[in-house]
Amino acid sequence: MLAIKTVFIAWIALAPLGAQEIKLPASLDRLAAKASEVVDVTMDANLLQLASRFLSDKDADDAKVKKLIAGLKGIYVRSFEFEKPGEYQESDVEPVRAQLHTPAWSRIVGVRSLKSGENAEVYIKTENGKIGGLAILATQPKELTIVSIEGTIDPDQLSELGGHFGIPKVEDDSQHKNSKGGKDE
Amino acid sequence: MEDFERQLRDALARKEQPPSLEARVFAAIAAGESKSWTFWRWEALAASVLALAALGAHEHMVRERAAGQAAKARLQLALKITVAKLSKIQQTVRTSTEE
Repeated sequence: MLAIKTVFIAWIALAPLGAQEIKLPASLDRLAAKASEVVDVTMDANLLQLASRFLSDKDADDAKVKKLIAGLKGIYVRSFEFEKPGEYQESDVEPVRAQLHTPAWSRIVGVRSLKSGENAEVYIKTENGKIGGLAILATQPKELTIVSIEGTIDPDQLSELGGHFGIPKVEDDSQHKNSKGGKDE
Repeated sequence: MEDFERQLRDALARKEQPPSLEARVFAAIAAGESKSWTFWRWEALAASVLALAALGAHEHMVRERAAGQAAKARLQLALKITVAKLSKIQQTVRTSTEE
């Protein structure tokens, strides 16, 4: 997470300013019929505000989430799991990617594995020197996930959520080195 | 003497009530009852309105709480997927860097 965070910060300074919302194409909804598992989360500012009212300041976990979403305008997640490969096409993802290939957005991470067929891309949008949006495109032969977060987001706060609410714990580089060192001994 | 007896008889004789008295008494009773009923009707109506408002407010609160809890659950799911994906990407980057 530290490496991604570092790249985030570097891009804040370099990326051009701009504001553009990602529109998830209707074609994605058609994939739902073929998928064995679908996650469709659409949370606009109003819903985020409503959820925020039910996050307690007294509960440490809730407080972290509340702080994180304070600057957000929306969270949109589409995730599809399929029984077999080839159920979705690159053309299903392309309209989303095309929106991210604009000056407002910068691709900070691109991962491609020929062996496993996994591809992942992380994009950020910068606004006034802050991260104003985050998008993730993650594809596997039998899985497609698109995440779009609009609004001011702090990667530190995001990584802090690891280990809470069933969210996998995010290991930063120092922890990783320590655990690796421990294993080597 | 006869005149005196006649006057006495007249004075003691049963006289019919003026017809308007009875009507006036019943009218007065009816008016009193009507006022009382009107008062109770308004009170009952006000109580019903208050009860309905309280019920409506409670129902709204229950619905809002359910919607809020659902929104919170969806938010947690969205964040879980986001962090999980970022974590996996991070892991892949790290593995490929180490290799």
